[in-house]
Amino acid sequence: MTKKMVFVDTSKCTGCKACSVACKEWNELPAEKTQLLTSYQTQKNFTTNTWTYMTFIEKYENQTMNWLMRKAQCFHCADPACLKACSSAAITQTESGYVVINQDKCIGCGYCVENCPFGVPKVDPIKKKSSKCTGCIDRVENNLLPACVQTCQPGALAFGERDAILAQAKKRLAEVQKTHPKAQLYGEKEMGGLTYLYLLLDSPEVYGLPANPTVPLSLTLWKDVVRPVGSVAVGGAAAAVVLGVFANLWRGNYKEGGKD
Amino acid sequence: MDVSRRNFLKLSGLSIAALAAGLGFDPAVAEAKGYVLKLEGSKKIPSICHFCSGGCGMLLYVKDGKLIHLEGDPDHPTNEGTLCPKAASLLSVANSPDRVIRPRRRAPGANHWEDISWEEALDIVAKKTKEVRDASWKAADEIVNAKTGLPESFLVNRAEGIAFLGSAEVDNEESYLISKFSRLIGTPYNEHQARI
Amino acid sequence: MSPSFGRGAMTNSWSDLKNSEVFLIAGSNCAENHPIAMKWINRAKEKGAKIIVVDPRFTRTAAKADIFAQIRPGTDIAYLGAIINYILNQKLYDEKYVLNYTNALLKISKDYKLDDGIFSGYNEKTRKYATTSWAYQLGPDNKPLKAESLEDPDCVFAKLKVHYSRYTFATAENISGIPAAKIKEIAEVFCQGKPGSILYALGMTQHTTGVQGIRAYAIIQLLLGNIGKAGGGINALRGEPNVQGSTDMANLVSNLPGYLPYPINTDKTLQDYLVRNGSFYEKHLVALLKAWYGANATKENDYGFNYLPKTNPSVNATMVKIFEMMNKGQFKLLFNVGSNSLVSIPDRKLVRSGLAKLDMLVVSDLFEIETAQFWREPGVNPADIKTEVIMFPAAFVYEKAGSMSNSSRWIQWKEAAIKPLGESKPDLDLLDHLFKKIRKLYEGSTDVKDAPILKARWDYGEGEPSALKVLQELSGYDETTGKLLPTIGDYLKAPIGTASTGCWIYAGVTGNGNLAARRKNDDPTGLGLFREWSFAWPGNVRILYNRASCDEAGRPVDAKRQLIWWDSAAKVWAGNDGADVVDKTKGPDTPEGKQSFRMNPEGVGRLFAATYMSGLPVAPPTDGLPPIGIRPGGLCVDGPLPEYYEPTESPSTNILHPKVSISPVALVVSTQLGKSEEYPHVLTTYGVVEHFCAGGITRNIPWLNEIMPEPFAEISKNLGEKIGVKEGDMVEVASARGKITVRALVTDRLQTYKVNGKDTETIGMPWSWGFASLSPGPSTNDLTIAALDPGAGTPEYKVCLVNIRRA
Repeated sequence: MTKKMVFVDTSKCTGCKACSVACKEWNELPAEKTQLLTSYQTQKNFTTNTWTYMTFIEKYENQTMNWLMRKAQCFHCADPACLKACSSAAITQTESGYVVINQDKCIGCGYCVENCPFGVPKVDPIKKKSSKCTGCIDRVENNLLPACVQTCQPGALAFGERDAILAQAKKRLAEVQKTHPKAQLYGEKEMGGLTYLYLLLDSPEVYGLPANPTVPLSLTLWKDVVRPVGSVAVGGAAAAVVLGVFANLWRGNYKEGGKD
Repeated sequence: MDVSRRNFLKLSGLSIAALAAGLGFDPAVAEAKGYVLKLEGSKKIPSICHFCSGGCGMLLYVKDGKLIHLEGDPDHPTNEGTLCPKAASLLSVANSPDRVIRPRRRAPGANHWEDISWEEALDIVAKKTKEVRDASWKAADEIVNAKTGLPESFLVNRAEGIAFLGSAEVDNEESYLISKFSRLIGTPYNEHQARI
Repeated sequence: MSPSFGRGAMTNSWSDLKNSEVFLIAGSNCAENHPIAMKWINRAKEKGAKIIVVDPRFTRTAAKADIFAQIRPGTDIAYLGAIINYILNQKLYDEKYVLNYTNALLKISKDYKLDDGIFSGYNEKTRKYATTSWAYQLGPDNKPLKAESLEDPDCVFAKLKVHYSRYTFATAENISGIPAAKIKEIAEVFCQGKPGSILYALGMTQHTTGVQGIRAYAIIQLLLGNIGKAGGGINALRGEPNVQGSTDMANLVSNLPGYLPYPINTDKTLQDYLVRNGSFYEKHLVALLKAWYGANATKENDYGFNYLPKTNPSVNATMVKIFEMMNKGQFKLLFNVGSNSLVSIPDRKLVRSGLAKLDMLVVSDLFEIETAQFWREPGVNPADIKTEVIMFPAAFVYEKAGSMSNSSRWIQWKEAAIKPLGESKPDLDLLDHLFKKIRKLYEGSTDVKDAPILKARWDYGEGEPSALKVLQELSGYDETTGKLLPTIGDYLKAPIGTASTGCWIYAGVTGNGNLAARRKNDDPTGLGLFREWSFAWPGNVRILYNRASCDEAGRPVDAKRQLIWWDSAAKVWAGNDGADVVDKTKGPDTPEGKQSFRMNPEGVGRLFAATYMSGLPVAPPTDGLPPIGIRPGGLCVDGPLPEYYEPTESPSTNILHPKVSISPVALVVSTQLGKSEEYPHVLTTYGVVEHFCAGGITRNIPWLNEIMPEPFAEISKNLGEKIGVKEGDMVEVASARGKITVRALVTDRLQTYKVNGKDTETIGMPWSWGFASLSPGPSTNDLTIAALDPGAGTPEYKVCLVNIRRA
């Protein structure tokens, strides 16, 4: 399958949260107990049962309200830190660009959690499994749209071939910038290019996103320097220990994504 | 629920495992044994959403008589496969443990329900309808004729003691029968939430 | 809408929204309550359409707007009046349209006047209007006199000008809190974009002046020539999945199915009924009586007209009033199918005390809604409640076959996809089984009062009733052959007494197969008409009043959006849509072919809702009976032109006429009313996208409770500071009728505004919660006021006075 992309056009999003419900419905994720947090936001963060949720930011300037709504989910990076960090080779990348966790292989070590610059994967402490948005790979591989894209009524989500979607996004940006001068694309280059490309109406920081998300240096060292040497000898568990050392060492690089 | 989730993960795991084993990603493999949809073997049945007046089309995936998934009907010209959060959640109504699934009666003054049969429930209500209808029957209204100053009797055929609140949340055919039923038994007091 | 255009329905369709150049979304928060609208609005926006949102709060719809104005709840007529004034002064109206397709030139009675907020004909004692002075000046032919020009001081257009001359931008600002410059900007942008669409919902109707607010929209759209056109119209976004259908079917005390006026006590005969309502209704009422009483409805017995229960017109038994009557002990038995009044009725203690006065409450629903268990609401002692309650388990929409009519008037059929859960059954089964049981109890009775039950036609099959059979009854039969009538045309051609239909506007829906089940989604014009998808009433017309999309000669005025046209070669109204004309073979040079609004007695759109019955004979009938006209114009009981009145509870007096501050004909049911000294803030209530209406279903869906777990009160940052509350704190909101405690959202989406120079605050609260379900919460309708629009009976949910403090 060729490289795919999902365009999240926040200028069209109405914050209805259907994406979040459709995701739970398709992926059979139970509801969690919530309360209103800020504005109309009720879900604070990713959990093992919440793979996508809506964030709301109210920005009032010059007597004008900007109600910024953004669907948060795994970006499916081209250069995914979680994949690099994975101690059990449970995380892989599909040709289409999706980053998926094989539940059978996952041992719940939590390195993907530690290293994702966006704070996406979460480990279930009882099942000892890490989980996150799958990009609805099962649907996509069977020519169905991801559940969130399928359900989006205002047309804020579009799925397609990477090049075509990117061109569409750039065209849309030019249009939106006429009324929202701060509008920008997020994800064309970040982390090697994100599978979920965003049109934001303001800077990434306003949305609580890292302006320059990076793969922690510890990982680069581990994957590209240490492991090639010791890959034969070092088994999963031992690798985890080594990786843990590096991760702790380089923790300063880790940035919490999303909004607390 | 757990079963299909496991199935999905296992099957998707297979092809991912193949990938990880260095076989590379082969769409043919995916098609053959990879990401098998949980929808396989189910029947697709279109329906209409039950919330706002959009009348969006829904597609229901039914397997062995059980609703396993629901999404927007891509052929529907209004919603073209999309659904709002309320519609997207409607799978849960079909299998909700909180549905009322048999008739019940709460006796006067009681603090609990008791389950009863349909037959029993219908009998109770039919008898009550007759009782109230007969007792509250108003055959005629007396109206003073403005010209003569004398009261005049006008046939009205009203069961004054019965009201029927119908619904904008039932089908046309049901709504029509509510209308017809009310007027046949003699109550014009048939209203519903369209008013509010 | 009906007093303006002749039909009470959304004029266009969901998919037609993409054809608009500008939207005025006011009184609708469609991104939340009709999410599908945003799909089509966003498409129009992508093509350059402008979106104007007027709302008491910055909503999720407002977040997508080009222009947003925060309005004081309930003051719409003030700024809309200013827009009408601007259109008239700046001559921004479509003159040809106004001359040809509205009653602008018709002359109004010299007795008509508006004096200090009171229209002519007011009776202080009954608090009602006599409408005779709102009539036209009639010629010797009993037809309205037509002025030579719009300058004639007697004509409707002149009346409009005088009436709205008082509505300046400055006055509108003082009343509504919207800056004058912003109102002007709205007027300019909306008048520039053609076609322009107005979207409204309950934000416009839930006022004591709800009907008049819609009338103001109608005036604007008629002046601008936006009705009958693709991308134009007034799109009344109906609230529930089948609210179009349930009003078509007349679960309403004022109508019989198909919008037939309800017979009243003085209608001794069908003849009396027709004298009051016009001969237009004869065919349709007789067809209904045939559907209800079959062979027992004969010419000899007046088609069973006297089997019908008649209403007493001096008794207003609309929804909220029914609960008032219940409190007075009138009703012993209440059927409650598919609604949750204990959460949804304003000042809801009226419901609780009313239900307690019943002998029996019969509920049919999916979940154990609050209304079904009113006897154990916290604070109520079940032992004190003597009402017996029977609850039937209802089947859900996809567990039963049947049709629903959406806001676009599409009658859409669906089959049952799965079996009903447990022992639940469709309400169709409940009604069918119950009626048969009741009829059995009356078997053999010769009492005349029991005849309507025993003589009824009720045949929907043995065992499980067939929904299709019911729809076929709506579609209509040739009673002489027992066969289905193929089309509405065949029904209209059939002599009176030979055809039956349970709802004449649905005639033909199953005449050639079940057209409601059609699924062809072709759109050859790209206009989103989808004429082979299901079936739209009337007669599969997708855009109502589309005759007005053509000029006098029958040519489309908008080349890009052609709906219908007169095909002079074929001598027929042809086109992309079904023509909404009197007779498809009557060309634009005939009187019938000129009628743009054929359901109105004048055949044109009504800027002024005049008292008028068409077709009254010039000479008195020779049989000595009163004359019968053809069709009356729809009236508004509170005036022929929209006038601004303050909400029942208001922080301000009416600056247009302080002596008549609130509507002189509004119906106030609540007995506890608050004053602004004690309750200084304005409360407005609404729904959120995550829940639906009274929450009977949605609060039982965990995924929805997760994304909107609790009710809240939205307040401005100024108010938050004043009462020492920050976001997330709990607050107690109190009105004269009750108080509840909810979480506060302190937000910039609500701003302090000025009313007559005085700082004013609006508090916003959703209302979908109650004490039961998986996600219980306090009911906002403990606070709201039961004050009703005098015509529609719609309560003023959108405005009441409250106070607020930290809880």
